[in-house]
Amino acid sequence: MTPTTERAYRAPPSVPFASRLKKSLFASPLDCFITILCAVLFTTIIYAVVDWAFLSSIWSEEDEALCRESSGACWSVIDARHRIIFFGLFPYEEHWRSTLACIVMIITIAASCLPALWSATRLGLLWVSGFGIFYMLMHGGVFGMTVITPERWGGLALTIFIFAAVSLLGMPLSVVLALGRRSKLPVIAKLFGLFIDFFRSLPLLTILFTAAIITPFVLPGWLQGDKLYRVIVGFAIFFACYQAENIRAGMQAIPPGQDEAGLTLGLNYWQRVTRILLPQAFRNSLPSIVNQFVITFKETSIVTIVGFFEILASGSAAYGTGKWTVHYIEVYVFIGVIYFLFVFSLSRYGAYLENKLRVGHD
Amino acid sequence: MTDNSGAQTRAVSMTDVNKWFGDFHVLRHINLTIDDGEKVVVCGPSGSGKSTLIRCICKLEDHQEGIINVLGTELNEDVANIDEIRREVGMVFQQFNLFPHMTVLENCTLAQTLVRKKSRKEAEEIAMEFLHKVRIPEQSTKYPGELSGGQQQRVAIARSLCMNPKIMLFDEPTSALDPEMISEVLDVMVSLAEEGMTMICVTHEMGFARRVADRVIFMDEGEIVEQNDPHSFFDNPENERSKLFLSQILQH
Repeated sequence: MTPTTERAYRAPPSVPFASRLKKSLFASPLDCFITILCAVLFTTIIYAVVDWAFLSSIWSEEDEALCRESSGACWSVIDARHRIIFFGLFPYEEHWRSTLACIVMIITIAASCLPALWSATRLGLLWVSGFGIFYMLMHGGVFGMTVITPERWGGLALTIFIFAAVSLLGMPLSVVLALGRRSKLPVIAKLFGLFIDFFRSLPLLTILFTAAIITPFVLPGWLQGDKLYRVIVGFAIFFACYQAENIRAGMQAIPPGQDEAGLTLGLNYWQRVTRILLPQAFRNSLPSIVNQFVITFKETSIVTIVGFFEILASGSAAYGTGKWTVHYIEVYVFIGVIYFLFVFSLSRYGAYLENKLRVGHD
Repeated sequence: MTDNSGAQTRAVSMTDVNKWFGDFHVLRHINLTIDDGEKVVVCGPSGSGKSTLIRCICKLEDHQEGIINVLGTELNEDVANIDEIRREVGMVFQQFNLFPHMTVLENCTLAQTLVRKKSRKEAEEIAMEFLHKVRIPEQSTKYPGELSGGQQQRVAIARSLCMNPKIMLFDEPTSALDPEMISEVLDVMVSLAEEGMTMICVTHEMGFARRVADRVIFMDEGEIVEQNDPHSFFDNPENERSKLFLSQILQH
């Protein structure tokens, strides 16, 4: 041991919290002024929001009459009309099916976030069964449930259905497109590139219109299916083209030595793709992959244009009649909160994944 | 398949092999035979084609002319042949190329279970045996990014050995390492050589070459310029280009 204490290891000098606060917020008179001004503004806004939403608000349907005198939010409209927002035109007495279907789908989405289930077979099984149960509950026709065709689906249930179906079709397709565009055969690579760039250059609206309205003239009857399915297929192709480019970006970042190592160990093409290429590509481009899911969840509202009552359109219907017409703000805030819950959990989950997958990486 | 009677003693034979990258003639008229159990060190200035030479042996690169025969099988476009050869030839890279998303143990068991169809338990036993051999069993649950360069390269060697290869190729295995980590990797390679493994090493570690190699091959501009036993090569190089190269790498 060296006798000179100066050279020994020690903790970095600590700065007390109060002086750090002073340095960053109250260093000069101007700083003090700005800090106080911001604090006052912030508190005023927060108070106004809390007062509107909670303190002065009216909650139950029966109290609707009180809304006219109150300065707060009139949540009576949600109490009275939430079923339309959640279920759209789905028959009233069958709402339990739609509720159950949504819960099943949310559980499926949540479960597929568990790393313990991350193998192709387990995820495949989970999604096929989750999606199958969802469809069976919504569509009916088995176990004595009446048939309810997709034109009458609506609200949150329809939004979740479209999002889940687009993801389910789009993800495998995006992997195929990304692999195709990286093919060593120039013809294949060019064709896939052309396909991706073609669909990326079209607005989503055009694709949905084409799927809903034009394809029935072109496709033979047995291939048309319901309008909803055509729209979902169109949406999934659009989604897959963007997601394919995200995944491809992740693949480009992998050093060629990874594939060579796989080759020299005797792994075949699919083994190298599924065990070496894809896991690393997904990790590399996780932020943009999650981003694409977030965008897609919100873009589902565009299907209103081709005549579907997803959650936003159902919201307009919810405040569209009689005494509720004045309370559109409350309805939109409510729908905003639902979107926020979904999208925020998606992004938080993405952040969690990034953290988890960073283990062992510089 | 060729018959096994005479071919068994030949690990690799290359006859008049030529290769181009675009217009660049990277391998010129290579004639080379390597016997079973022989240890060969390949050296030469950068860009001389030495890495390309060994990459052709495990078919990471295609050659355009000539015949390459590995373990009695000719390398051609026949996919089954190539897969068979790749399973028998291990390769260690300059940049280690461990799979970063798998633990050390998973790196070592992946190909065993997928290619050799071993059970997971058996594969793990074999992996641990080779991790012991490269003196790193305690790191088996870590990810490559948590290890030092020397440790990673030793794992990469163990990963190759798990496939029970008949030939090991080393492509500058110590060039990306910090100086204090070079010897731990060379020690592993020396003990491998002492066990009789057929080895072809591209390296500039002259101490290692003197100690282990049966033969040193000097390449320049895509040609094999000189080959000799290590002592003759280092002490009395015959060719002017070899002399120049040795004077450049040994002057400090």
